[in-house]
Amino acid sequence: MWRAIWAIIARELTRMLRQRGRLLSSMARPLIWLLVIGSGFGAMLSHVGPGGYQQFLIPGLLCMVLLFGAMLASLSLVYDKESGVMRMLVIAPFAHYWIILARTVSAAVVGLVQAIILIVILAAIGFFTTTFNLAILVLGLVVTAFACASMGMLIAVFSKTLDNFAVIMNFVIFPVFFLSGALYPVQHLPFALKIITLINPFSYGVDLLKHALLDGLPTSLGADFTIGQDLLFMIGFTVIATGIASIRFSRAPVIETLARILSTPRRG
Amino acid sequence: MVSKRADHSGSNDIKCAIQARRLGKSYGNLKAVDNLDLAIPQGQFFGLLGPNGSGKTTTIHMLSTLIRPTDGTVMVAGYDVVKSPVSVRRAIGLVFQESALDRNLTVNENLHFAGALYNLPKRVARERSQELLELFDLTPRQRTQVSTLSGGMRRALDIARGVLHRPRVLFLDEPTIGLDVMNRRAIWRFINRLRQEEGMTVLLTTHYLEEAEGCDQVAFMHKGHLIGQGEPKKLIGSLGAYILEVESDAPDRHAELLNPTLGSPIQEGNCLMYCVPNEDFPVTELQRELKSTVHAVHLRRPDLNDVYIWLNHRTSRNMV
Repeated sequence: MWRAIWAIIARELTRMLRQRGRLLSSMARPLIWLLVIGSGFGAMLSHVGPGGYQQFLIPGLLCMVLLFGAMLASLSLVYDKESGVMRMLVIAPFAHYWIILARTVSAAVVGLVQAIILIVILAAIGFFTTTFNLAILVLGLVVTAFACASMGMLIAVFSKTLDNFAVIMNFVIFPVFFLSGALYPVQHLPFALKIITLINPFSYGVDLLKHALLDGLPTSLGADFTIGQDLLFMIGFTVIATGIASIRFSRAPVIETLARILSTPRRG
Repeated sequence: MVSKRADHSGSNDIKCAIQARRLGKSYGNLKAVDNLDLAIPQGQFFGLLGPNGSGKTTTIHMLSTLIRPTDGTVMVAGYDVVKSPVSVRRAIGLVFQESALDRNLTVNENLHFAGALYNLPKRVARERSQELLELFDLTPRQRTQVSTLSGGMRRALDIARGVLHRPRVLFLDEPTIGLDVMNRRAIWRFINRLRQEEGMTVLLTTHYLEEAEGCDQVAFMHKGHLIGQGEPKKLIGSLGAYILEVESDAPDRHAELLNPTLGSPIQEGNCLMYCVPNEDFPVTELQRELKSTVHAVHLRRPDLNDVYIWLNHRTSRNMV
């Protein structure tokens, strides 16, 4: 089984590196936020000091890369239903829930690799703080990557309609990102939005990275929860979401529908 | 993931690569496959034939564990498809109608990926890929991306992918569909080479019936039922020595006219078709006799298409 999982991860990475344009744009996206929106809003928020808001954005932007990288990779299961690889996977000699587990892991790894590339870029242009907690940073990135991947997987196994990119962006990725504390501290949000933010697993990933990276900032911009709360919520979410996705995907009717889609000759 | 070889199989079943008993699949009231019995010995080249929608693909999916039967039982390579699906999948290869390849990866990468899914050590996967690429004339393309291959090459690679792990039973679902004649011939050459080299049981579906004449055994499906089964040569031979086709503007009148000598025909539009049992049928006389009143009179050897037409005719008549 490990050989198969490793092959699935390796394939996902090969694809990521081969699709240069997509990789490039996934790096450009957070940098635009940082350099354009970050400096624009930063200028309005003079009380946090020069560059303070941009520094505040870094954890959220790292999580953004994980969100786009890992979640899109696992959501791609939806439009992978007609792909050749899915045919190879459904007749491979392991239980079908391994497809979900292996793809969740590979999606998380894709997100992590992109986050590491972004960190290198940020360090090179001088936006990565020198005083950070490495252990929490690594832990935060890994746990957030898995949470994003499993969130995508959970949506993917239940969705019948998320078959185009725009729908996924507008109804999944953007809400998860905007309602997370990545762009503004959770404590200042209006009540309704705050509630949504509190049940958004992604918020806790952003918070964990704030612990790792924002120790030097004023507390109004710091983390909102404890490290323990963050970890508990995200690991719990990942386990439950992956479990539900695996069970759902193993059910005979789901596989039968998939088999039918996989054998219907494409017209045109 | 290791499951024991099912030992409740009777002595007859051991030699059977595929044994289906009263197999069925219904979707609500619709019976996609009904009461299907199959016994395919090991090493046989078996053709499951019939038009689109006759239940061939549903049958293949049940045999390959992707669809759960609603009735009956199936043993494939000695395992029950419902009780030990993973063991069945380990023992079979399946080539879908549509390609099971990653277009963004190269030929080699695809085969190595498939090998890893079957837990083949890298070295073994590499060796077998080389052998298969050689067998299928794909060696020069091994480092190119699949998206740049022609349809025929992609199909060949897909079949190589399906047999990389040396399955005991190989399912080919319409292996030549969508290919031009040249490529279809090439694919058949590859399948024959493969059978000679590996000696595996092959179950094939196709609706190009003439392609199934090389099968050891064929079975015809119609609306989810098996309507006939046997060796292609015997089935064809049982129709008679010739098929006589009469094209006419007044088929009913000619049917009446020919009835005393030839019996009742199968009528398709303006064409009447008769089975002619004897080798020395006086066709020239008949041609002369009918010349002025019909468009054409053909006498030709029967093939599997005719077997299907007659089986179908008999079945629908019995149903009425």
